[in-house]
Amino acid sequence: MIELKNVTRRFGNTVAVDNINLTIETGEVCVLVGSSGCGKSTTLRMINRLLPHSAGEILVDGEDVNAMNPEQLRLNMGYVIQGTGLFPHWTVARNIAMVPHLLKWPKERIDARVEELMTLLDLDPATHASKYPQQLSGGQAQRVGVARALAADPNILLMDEPFGALDAITRENLQMEMLRIQRQVRKTTVFVTHDIDEALKLATRIAVMDQGRIIQHDTPENILRHPASDFVENLVGKQDRGLKLMSLRPVRDLMSPHAEPRQSVAGEGAIREEDSVRLALSVMLWKDLGEVAVFNARGQETGVITRERIIQEGA
Amino acid sequence: MLVTKPASNVMVPNRVIPALGVLALVLVWLLDLGAIQPNRIVPGTGHGLLSAVGWLGAGMVTLTLAASILLSLFPLRLRYPLLLGLVGFSLAALPLLLDVFAGRHLPEASPYARSTIGAGFWSLLFLLSLMLIEIVGRLRAGRGLQLVLLVVIVGSWLMLLRGEGLASLSLVREFNARPDEFEQALWTHLALAFGAVTFSAGLAFVLALKMIRSPAWQRPVLGAVSFLQTIPSLAVFGLLIAPLGALSSAFPALQSLGIRGIGWAPALLALIAYSLLPMVRNTFVAITEVPENLADAGRGMGMTERQLFFKLKLPLALPVIIEGVRITTIQAIGLTAVAALIGAGGFGAFIFQGLGQAAMDLVLLGALPTIALALLADALFTMVGDSLKPTPATT
Repeated sequence: MIELKNVTRRFGNTVAVDNINLTIETGEVCVLVGSSGCGKSTTLRMINRLLPHSAGEILVDGEDVNAMNPEQLRLNMGYVIQGTGLFPHWTVARNIAMVPHLLKWPKERIDARVEELMTLLDLDPATHASKYPQQLSGGQAQRVGVARALAADPNILLMDEPFGALDAITRENLQMEMLRIQRQVRKTTVFVTHDIDEALKLATRIAVMDQGRIIQHDTPENILRHPASDFVENLVGKQDRGLKLMSLRPVRDLMSPHAEPRQSVAGEGAIREEDSVRLALSVMLWKDLGEVAVFNARGQETGVITRERIIQEGA
Repeated sequence: MLVTKPASNVMVPNRVIPALGVLALVLVWLLDLGAIQPNRIVPGTGHGLLSAVGWLGAGMVTLTLAASILLSLFPLRLRYPLLLGLVGFSLAALPLLLDVFAGRHLPEASPYARSTIGAGFWSLLFLLSLMLIEIVGRLRAGRGLQLVLLVVIVGSWLMLLRGEGLASLSLVREFNARPDEFEQALWTHLALAFGAVTFSAGLAFVLALKMIRSPAWQRPVLGAVSFLQTIPSLAVFGLLIAPLGALSSAFPALQSLGIRGIGWAPALLALIAYSLLPMVRNTFVAITEVPENLADAGRGMGMTERQLFFKLKLPLALPVIIEGVRITTIQAIGLTAVAALIGAGGFGAFIFQGLGQAAMDLVLLGALPTIALALLADALFTMVGDSLKPTPATT
C-alpha cells in the first residue's frame, strides 16, 4: 500500500504538486492522468524518492520513505520509463538482470529468472537474450523494459508513460499484455499517462490531476458516470462517454447464460465472455445481427447477448 | 518489373589503382632513384631508374606496375587477392632496388662513399603503399590480415637493411655509427611521450570528475587548459627553463634527480601542459554526454551513484576517452621531437644534429622513427577504442 499525505513539491517558487492525498491499495492499478505539467510524473518520482517532497508524508506499507535508504527503497520498486532507458552496452538478458545483479543473486537463479520473464513477456529467449537494445523494435524494447522492472519480483511497479513513444498498434498490444500480466502477478502499480483511454483500460482506479492537484480519484466507471468537474468531463469526452462505458463492461455482465455450456465451434472472431460490450455491439452492427453467441475461454458456448439488452443497459 | 542486379564489387574496374600505378610509372622513370655521395657532406650524383638498376631492374619495376594496372582493369574474380600478393611482395622487396643500385655504382676503393635514397624511390614506396591500402580496403580484410602484412613487410625491410648489400646506404651508415644512441633515443622518446600522456590522462580524469561534480569549475578549468594549448611549444620550453633552473639551484636535492632548467624535466612539464586540453575536453564531454534518461532509469532501479558511474557512464564514455588519448599520444610523440631543442633527448636530437651538420640522412634517422611511432600509436589506440565499443552496429 502506498499513501501520500498532504504531499507538496515546489520547484523554486512554482508549486508542481499541491498538497495531495492519495491512497493506493495493495494490488490495484492506480493511473495518474492529466495534461503535461500537471504534476503526475513529479508525484510518481516522489514515491521512489527520485525527487524529494517539500512537505507532507509518503508511506509505503506504512513506513515513511524518507526513513528508508533510497537505493533499498528503489530496489523494491520496479520502474519503467518512456523510451525504455535500456543500457545500450548491455544485452537484453543483462538488462533484465540488472536488479537481481544489484541484489547479488546467484547466477543460476538470475538466468532462470531472465528466461522466465522473457517467456512471460512473449520474447523468445533463444533469439533475443543476446541481442542489444538497438537491435530491437520499439515494442520489443519496452517489453524488455517491463521485464527489467519485474525482475526481482518487487511489490510495487512505477510506470512513467511507458507506452507513450510507441505506435498505436504496438501500444494496444502492450496494454493487453499488461492486463494479462497484472492478472498473473498482481503488483501494486502506479501508472502515469496523458491518454485517458489508456487510463480507462488499465486502471482499477484513476486519479485525474490538474495543476498539481488531484481533481478526482475514483474507479473508471465512476469517473465516466459522475465526473467531478467540467475539467474531468472534458477529459473523458462529453459525448463519447456512452461508448467508453460500454468498453469498460465485459459481455459476461449483460449476456443471457445457457443453463449448461454447449459444445459448439467458436469460430474466428467469436465473442468471448471477457470481451467488451462495445465490441459485441460493433460485431452485431457490422454483421447485421440481433444477437450473438458468447463463448468462454475453453471454447464452449455459454450464452447469448442481444442488441436490445445492450441498447437498454449498455452504458 | 525489371530488376537490375547491383554489379558485384569484384566486377567493376578499379579506377584508383590504375591512377596510382600510372603516376608511379611516370615518377619512377622521371626522378632519380638514388644518388652516390663520395662522402657524408658533398652532394652526390643522381641516377635515374635505368642507370641505377640497369635494364633488368628497370624492366621488373615497369612490368610489376604495368601488371597491377592491367589486373585492376580486368574483371577477374581473384584480382584483388592477386593484386595483394603482387603489391605486397613488391613493397617487401623494394629495398632490393637499393641493394642492386649500390652494387652497381658504389666505387670499390673509397670507404667514405655512400648511396642515398632518391625521390624516385620515395615516390615508388609512397604510391605502392597507397595501392596496398586501397587493395586491403577492397578486400575488406580483417585486422589479422593487416597485421600479417605489416609484420611481413616491416620484417623484410629490417632484414634487408641489416644485410651486407645495404651497408653503404647512408641511412644505414648513420645508424651503424650510433646504434646505442639510437636505442637510447627510442627509450627517451617513448618515456617522455607516454609519461606525459599517462600523467595528463590521470590528471584530466580527476579534473573532469571535479568539473562534473562542481559545475563552477568548468569554465576556469577549460579556460586554463585551452590557454596552455595556445602558447607556442617552443615558448613553453623556453619559459620553463628559468623557473626550473632557479628551483634546482635552490634545492640541490632536485639536481640529483636530474631536474634542471634544461633536460627532461621542462620537456615533460610542457608535454603534460599540451596534453591536458584534448584529454580534459574528451573525458568531460564523454562522461557528460551519457543520456540523462539512462542515468534516470539506473537510479530508479536502485543503482547508487557509484554503480551508475562504473556500470553505465564509464563504459559508455570509454571509447571517446580513448580517442582523446589517441590524439594526445600522436601529438605528444611529435612534440617530443621538438623537445630535443632543450636537451631532452629522443629522436629530435638526431633531427637537430643532422640539420646542424647538413647531413640529411641523419635528419631522416630521427624523422622516420618518429613518424613510425606516431603511426603505431594511432593504430594501437584505434584498435583498443574499437574493441571497447560495446554496442554492435544497428542492424
